[in-house]
Amino acid sequence: MRHSVQGAALLLLAGLSVAAAEDGPPIPKFAEDTASAGVVGTYKGEWQYMVGGGAASFDCNGDRYADLLLAGGESPARFFRNTSMAGGSLTFAEQVSGLEVDSVTGAYPLDVDSDGIMDLVLLRVGANIIMRGLGECRFDPANDLWGFEGGDGWSTALAATWEKGAGWPTIAVGNYIDRAEEFSPWGSCTDNWLHRPAGDKGFAPPLALKPSYCALSMLFTDWNRSGMPSLRVSNDREYYEGGQEQMWQILPGQAPALLTEKDGWKKLKIWGMGIASADLDADGYPDYYLTSMADNKLQVLADPKSGKPVYKDVAFAKGVTAHRPYTGDDLKPSTGWHAQFDDVNNDGLLDLFVAKGNVSAMPDFAMKDPNNLLLQNPDGTFIEAGDKAGVASTDSARGAALADFNMDGLLDLVVVNRNAPVQIWRNVSDAPGNWLGLALHQPGANPDATGAWIEVKAGDRVTRREVTVGGGHAGGQAGWWHFGLAASPEAEVRVIWPDGTAGDWQTLAANGFYDLAPGQAATVWTAP
Amino acid sequence: MARYHWLRTLGGAAISVMFALGASAQSRPAPEQVLSVWYELVLDLVRHTPTYTPPVASRTLAYVGVTAYEATASGNDGLISLAGQLNGLTDLPARETGQAYDEATVLQAALAGVVTHEFSNTGPTGQRALAAVRDKLGAAVAEGLPADLRDRSLDHGQAIAAHILAWAATDKGAVVENMGFPQDYPVAETPANWVPTSKISLQQHPLLPDWGQNRPFAMPDGATCDLPPPPDYSEDKGSEFYRQALEVYEVGKSLTPEQKAIALFWADDAMLSRTPPGHWISIALQVLDAEKADMPRRTEALAKLGIAVADAFIGCWNAKYQYDLLRPVTYIRRVIDPNWETLLTTPPFPEYPSGHSTQSGAAATVMTALFGEGHAFDDNTPSTDGLPPRSFASFWTAADEAGISRLYGGIHYRAAIDRGLDQGRCIGAYATALKTRRN
Repeated sequence: MRHSVQGAALLLLAGLSVAAAEDGPPIPKFAEDTASAGVVGTYKGEWQYMVGGGAASFDCNGDRYADLLLAGGESPARFFRNTSMAGGSLTFAEQVSGLEVDSVTGAYPLDVDSDGIMDLVLLRVGANIIMRGLGECRFDPANDLWGFEGGDGWSTALAATWEKGAGWPTIAVGNYIDRAEEFSPWGSCTDNWLHRPAGDKGFAPPLALKPSYCALSMLFTDWNRSGMPSLRVSNDREYYEGGQEQMWQILPGQAPALLTEKDGWKKLKIWGMGIASADLDADGYPDYYLTSMADNKLQVLADPKSGKPVYKDVAFAKGVTAHRPYTGDDLKPSTGWHAQFDDVNNDGLLDLFVAKGNVSAMPDFAMKDPNNLLLQNPDGTFIEAGDKAGVASTDSARGAALADFNMDGLLDLVVVNRNAPVQIWRNVSDAPGNWLGLALHQPGANPDATGAWIEVKAGDRVTRREVTVGGGHAGGQAGWWHFGLAASPEAEVRVIWPDGTAGDWQTLAANGFYDLAPGQAATVWTAP
Repeated sequence: MARYHWLRTLGGAAISVMFALGASAQSRPAPEQVLSVWYELVLDLVRHTPTYTPPVASRTLAYVGVTAYEATASGNDGLISLAGQLNGLTDLPARETGQAYDEATVLQAALAGVVTHEFSNTGPTGQRALAAVRDKLGAAVAEGLPADLRDRSLDHGQAIAAHILAWAATDKGAVVENMGFPQDYPVAETPANWVPTSKISLQQHPLLPDWGQNRPFAMPDGATCDLPPPPDYSEDKGSEFYRQALEVYEVGKSLTPEQKAIALFWADDAMLSRTPPGHWISIALQVLDAEKADMPRRTEALAKLGIAVADAFIGCWNAKYQYDLLRPVTYIRRVIDPNWETLLTTPPFPEYPSGHSTQSGAAATVMTALFGEGHAFDDNTPSTDGLPPRSFASFWTAADEAGISRLYGGIHYRAAIDRGLDQGRCIGAYATALKTRRN
């Protein structure tokens, strides 16, 4: 039974202005609740678990609070039901869910059968498994039921979309090295798979996406706003030969087609490990943050009007290379994994979290590698605040999730570490800006409106978010979309639905959760 | 996969493959096989170990080559040790008089010791591969040997490795900090000087500015084969400097398919390939295999070539930081066309002379001395990146092509290429002069 303290919290927040720092954006405050939150576990294992370690946040019991599944590597994955009170401390209860599977590297929530109950795709060393949500956070394997071939790979990335007219999702799975290669694993990248629907009865046998280059993150994203998302793949150059970053054009009824130099695609070879996307420069097109070793990349379309997939790297100019530790005396290059854009201080500007951690005893890279929390300045540059905000852990991080676990309008943080316990932080910023929590619903297939765009206008700023499934590192989030509003007491909101229909602009009062559906007025949801 | 065909013979049922390649059912890996396996692994580790930029790779390739040679020479009366010929290398441990040794075991132990140490910083996958080769190849080599013979051979190989590693520790190149990029470095501010050419944070300071001060192997010091200064910096359209920059610009704008293929074939990017010195070692391995060379010939060639390219990088880096010249991309965008793009990624260090040219000149000098003028060969080194093999009429044809590839790629002026090749010829002569044969 939850006791709501949210009402009081919202009253306190309402009308408050952002506590602007003298020389930059407001610094959020995080309090580590690891010891008390009831979330425990370690992503562990040897060579085959040097990558992965994802966190999935989603609601599986209908209370709208984000529950958690954490990959365990050689140990079984662990599920935690969110028992937090609105505005209160973060509390979770471990619960047997059916998700306690071993060899899990990552997990992404996805309502595969569009029944309104969240399902999960488990990425594994071995056969991947779709776990069908049964309600009340119970899950059953559904590979046989839905014709999903789990294969026998080393799976490390996932993205999903609903192709036009499809009743079932298209799921891309990224695979890593041929794990049987002991002497020379280099050049042994195994095929990524594209699981397309087989009519209305589940999935056809997967297509091999050739060439594949050891994907560690994938994202279906409408990079050119064509209405048909392409598949962005970030690959680990450590293992491919002749490889590069990739973008596959996925058109309904057609074979996947790789964008090439003839299309304008430029070769980029990085230790690709994670993808975060957001329209940072408000040009209407998504930008991509790609984690790697040493310098990370921030790609923006060089010339959107050209229609060509030519990206330029602005990470250096924007101050988000995050290439070496900013705390301690270990100044060796960093290693980046999960990345996520979200507004952690509710100032209306998207910030960037990057999970950091040495691959495994690589002495030329930092061993004490603090996670980054890069706050966006009004001019579009970023400033590091992980240490001031209290999230600069130097455990060896992999996956993570920013989500409002206690429904107080502030994004909290969970981080999965390799060979060290998971950590969870509550956002306790004392003078944050206003905010909105938005959830999309549409009838029929694709109930969570994957592929939609949410536009929020507050003051003179429009923030656009693409609703995606994928990216990050080995884990995804489903549920509320969070928008900071700074001092704005209200915002104009509209949704461009996956079929391209633009909803009406609606004025929503700040500091509330709203459900949005096509052709309907937004409805307020109040945390119990 | 064609690579590692010897390695693949070591596991389970695949052992039969080794026998199919010529070994009898009773035979153990021959020294040639041991050498081949370790070199394949070393070239992979060069590609996959974070600090292994071309200068660092050249150093390790030299030590591996000397190790293999000394392990072989210590059991062959026809070969002369390089001790006393190479700077700082003292007499190596001798074999016990009158005792038998197993050559494959000596070599395996020596290479395992040196390679494991030199790649101690490789990542988890490299460590896994190292352990697999060290343990499984080691077990295959030792199988069936009398214990005293095995132990004596192991001890000798390990003693050679320890001697080589102690020698290597004193050359100033053993420790590479921050991937080779200093945390602070006073980048000069005159127009002629190098400035960073990328927006990669790590590369705002140039690579290994002190590498030219390292102890060379065969030549006296890093400045031994100095070269004349580059053309005087000028933005005057009538100047030689402008003319050379304009050549890079105009060639780059109208590259033929063949020129582009040449640039990519010799790109040899750090951490994305076997690097330029690894490329030449790969050429040598192909030539030696084609010749079915014996162990003295193989180890002699690999040692001399490794020494030549390592000294070439020391000499080249010595000159690079003496002249500290800006790259074509900097000059051309400043003076000719602000939007110019290079085909190849500009490396993060000063321009003059061209490293690939210097080390290719040194390599061609050694290879020509060993295999003769007009020795034609095919090179498939970049095949793993999907590039077709190229054929060369001689080693100097290859070296000249490697040099001009840098102009096609937009990363070097012609002076750096021509004089780099000259510098390499000078440096290579020191390696060629090393005495390896008694007759």
